[in-house]
Amino acid sequence: MLARNQAEQSNVRPRQSWLPRWLQIVLIGRNPKVTLVRAAVLIVTCFVVFRFILLPARIEGISMLPTYKDRSVNFVNRLAYRWHEPQRGDVVGIRLAGPHVMYMKRIIGLPGETVAFVEGRVLINGEVLDEPYEKTPCDWNCPPVRLGPDEYFVVGDNRTMPSDNHVFGKAGRDRIVGKAIL
Amino acid sequence: MKIVFRIVLLAALAAMGVWLWTFLFPSPEKVIRRRLTELARSVSSSANESDLTRLAAARSVAGFFATTVELNVDLPELGQRNSMDREEITQAALMARSRAGGMHVKFPDINITVAPDKQSAVADLTVEANISGEHDSVVREMKFNLRKTDGQWLITRIETVRTLTWSAELRFGKIRGESLVRADSEIGVPPF
Repeated sequence: MLARNQAEQSNVRPRQSWLPRWLQIVLIGRNPKVTLVRAAVLIVTCFVVFRFILLPARIEGISMLPTYKDRSVNFVNRLAYRWHEPQRGDVVGIRLAGPHVMYMKRIIGLPGETVAFVEGRVLINGEVLDEPYEKTPCDWNCPPVRLGPDEYFVVGDNRTMPSDNHVFGKAGRDRIVGKAIL
Repeated sequence: MKIVFRIVLLAALAAMGVWLWTFLFPSPEKVIRRRLTELARSVSSSANESDLTRLAAARSVAGFFATTVELNVDLPELGQRNSMDREEITQAALMARSRAGGMHVKFPDINITVAPDKQSAVADLTVEANISGEHDSVVREMKFNLRKTDGQWLITRIETVRTLTWSAELRFGKIRGESLVRADSEIGVPPF
């Protein structure tokens, strides 16, 4: 009898964990199975969102100053242009061979328009473009260029640097990955 | 339960079989991708290399190319060259390694299109080079033409792709003092 009671006692005794109970709750929750499911859902959600929808991007270079500083972080929304076309003034990511390295530029010219720089001012179809984001004057002069039906004209906000050192120009619609969200 | 176990086992075996098959007989895309990754690794250099290491690495770089490579690039180091042979590639690689204090090259995006005859392919890729001591990395989009020669994929043509046009046309026009409207010729993308 005594032997049986001892056996029962040993059976019902809770298993000793190497972690204190409160720490166990903090780390893995009251129900480890539920925590595991939650973690899995979170991982899958993060993977899908940050791989296919919001591409995390670290900006390198000074061509988008003062809007975006060198080494700042941003996200490119790949769904931004799923239901409408890019708009003038949008800051977009432009892919090279793929989306891992992109140029980040502002759209100033839309398909079919003629874009030119005269004494630093942007002319769209011969009319001066109002650019509130442009804080510093520049002296760029570039002859007019007509955009094709699927072409956008993109340029950085930092036009204090010489135009020769700045990458800008026509980008095909297929190169526009998405819109910067920050 | 037994049936479920058998199905799972069968699925695992099938997956292993597929993996083994692709491991033993990789697709041309996979082979080319691996080869281009190797090329990027070979082009990369560390700051304090010995002369012997430098020479060996430069020779290994030349091994990725055909005996004569057609060029259409905007690298100022190469001037207006239209082609290079392996010895010239070795010399160029050697010069680049000896000049740079250290360089890390990678191809973050590689898109490969293999021809139906599986004997030639085109790789459109982004080249990203981080040169030690320089703040910004150098980024270019390039197109490599490859041909299968004696079982090996060798690069036969290198071309710089214009990601954004017009600025390049403008730059080129200014440099050459020509008309700014250039539509047909291939011109490279200017640096960042």
